[in-house]
Amino acid sequence: MNTHWSSLVYTTFVMGALAVYLLMPRAGRSTNIAGTLIGMVALALAMFLCADMFVGTSSGNALFYASAVIALASAVKVITDEKPVYSALYFVLTVLAITPLLILQHAEFLAIALVIIYAGAILVTYVFVIMLAQQGGRPACDHRARQPLLAVVGGFLTMAVIAGQMATLPDEQAVIVAAAPAPTSDAPLAEPDNTMQVGSVMLTQYVVAFELAGVLLLVAMIGAIAMSQKRIPSEKLVEPTKPPGQIGREVGPY
Amino acid sequence: MLDILKDQFWFSAILTVVLIGAIMGVVAYCIYFERKISAWIQDRVGPNRVGPFGLFQPLADGAKFLFKEDIIPANVDKPLFLIAPVIAFGLAMIGFAVLPWGGNVDLDADGIIDVTAQVADPGIGLLYLLGVGSLGIYGVVLGGWANNNKYAFFSAMRSTAQMLSYEIPMGIAIFVVVITVGTLRLEDIVLSQIGEGNVWNIVLHPFAFIILLITIFAETNRTPFDLAEAEQELVGGYHTEYSALKFGMFFLGEYAHMITGSGFITILFLGGWHLPGVPGLQPGDVSIWAMLFKMTVMGAKIVGFLFLFMWVRWTIPRFRFDQLMRLSWKGLLPISMILAGYATTLVYLGKATNIPWALGGNVALLVIVLIYNGLRSGEITGRQANLPAIARPVEAHS
Repeated sequence: MNTHWSSLVYTTFVMGALAVYLLMPRAGRSTNIAGTLIGMVALALAMFLCADMFVGTSSGNALFYASAVIALASAVKVITDEKPVYSALYFVLTVLAITPLLILQHAEFLAIALVIIYAGAILVTYVFVIMLAQQGGRPACDHRARQPLLAVVGGFLTMAVIAGQMATLPDEQAVIVAAAPAPTSDAPLAEPDNTMQVGSVMLTQYVVAFELAGVLLLVAMIGAIAMSQKRIPSEKLVEPTKPPGQIGREVGPY
Repeated sequence: MLDILKDQFWFSAILTVVLIGAIMGVVAYCIYFERKISAWIQDRVGPNRVGPFGLFQPLADGAKFLFKEDIIPANVDKPLFLIAPVIAFGLAMIGFAVLPWGGNVDLDADGIIDVTAQVADPGIGLLYLLGVGSLGIYGVVLGGWANNNKYAFFSAMRSTAQMLSYEIPMGIAIFVVVITVGTLRLEDIVLSQIGEGNVWNIVLHPFAFIILLITIFAETNRTPFDLAEAEQELVGGYHTEYSALKFGMFFLGEYAHMITGSGFITILFLGGWHLPGVPGLQPGDVSIWAMLFKMTVMGAKIVGFLFLFMWVRWTIPRFRFDQLMRLSWKGLLPISMILAGYATTLVYLGKATNIPWALGGNVALLVIVLIYNGLRSGEITGRQANLPAIARPVEAHS
């Protein structure tokens, strides 16, 4: 059972790696069609593997498969799309598609925090920087991946090692899932919220890490403000004169 | 019929359809009232040709949007150009999903609560609204960039900077409420303002209410924060190149966003569907008529806020960009942080819902801020002449 399982997992990874390699932007003939086909097979295999491991309600399963497929496909597009703006937007889509997976794991707070902080704030600025950097057309480096083979092999090897470790566990997984209380159809619509648990754990068990992260962010913010100040040598400075036509509180009453 | 309604899923489905219809209608008539109110404020008549009092004007406008030529300019980024209005409109609409419209309902009067009058009741409803609001920026950004127009892109840039800046005081003002009531579920926030010894949050934290109101003006891109649509400077704004129904979707999205924002602030600070002392609006009233009455009250509060939005739009001129940024980073942010610290201290002392403490602190802070600003030497806002000398090289003057 286990060897059979592992070989399936590793086949999936090899096919995924091949698909990503073929989808990478390159100078010569496009291999996108072959890459897409292999990638779809790899996705189907991955979903088949998940079907063995994942037990839940049927609507939950449907949500899982839909968002997992979207997340994986858009994650591949992040690195294979030729237009940087699209890459960034596919990253946003990946983040949004991961959100339902977190909600299925009853991590609603984490899911929404991911949306607010990542998709809503950080990635907007990424998208903006890329949009501003692309004023004069795309440079040649966007059309050709750099070291695609090494990157694909390295990335998928890491993932395969991690997943291979998990893949030896299908029997134990079944036990864990069976031990968890099965969701019943007449459960209330409102999910139990875990925000309070997250908050209390963060402020008791992990309070040091939490405070350190806060200090780190504060230092980063002050650093950003300090760096954004334009420095001009003192001999080039002039005393600011009052420009004509200004409106301000120094204008006397009429 | 009633049996189907007693299932929360079908009740939510029907409520969704009703809400979408109602909100589309309200949005259409928002445009009519916007024009009527602007006319009233500017001493004009306003639309009065289509139907009695011009009441059919929204239909005429809608027909015009539908039948105008739908132009896709050359050199636009077509997929993004097409999807941007959809994002703007769709994200403005899905915020309604978590607003509690009428509390718990007992449809057949047998003493058992059947459903709650809201589409979905997640435990993180408040964060959901914040998340949807923070994604709304993508409609503007993609619209501004995809149509390959420098002015539209400037507009998108302004809008992004504005929304990112105002999200921070907004989040902190909301934090004040959350730390006071101790929950993120919107229905619980409403219930916490009702009952013996409880008051609406506006009484406890009026200053937080003011801050949230200002930031919602900014988040919905309404005057005085509508720099993204400054026609005098930017041709039209991020939707310069959009025509026909695509422009209409941006337009409707803005109004839908206003309704969500109004509902949000109503729930957080004005007790949602509740009016103190009015029978039929208490948590114990669960008949279907009480639900409709509660929905009416909630709707009336939202309409009141919509009127405020329009009133302000036609009264106050637009900020300049540096004034906008100064208001957020030097004004609202420090004040809201002090307020958050104060609210946290009250919670620590166990006086979070103690009216004299909370209200007194807010009023004291307001007075201190006003006195500080009154005594401070005047800041010249004309051209930032009194900026520190660092930013002014010689070349700029010679």
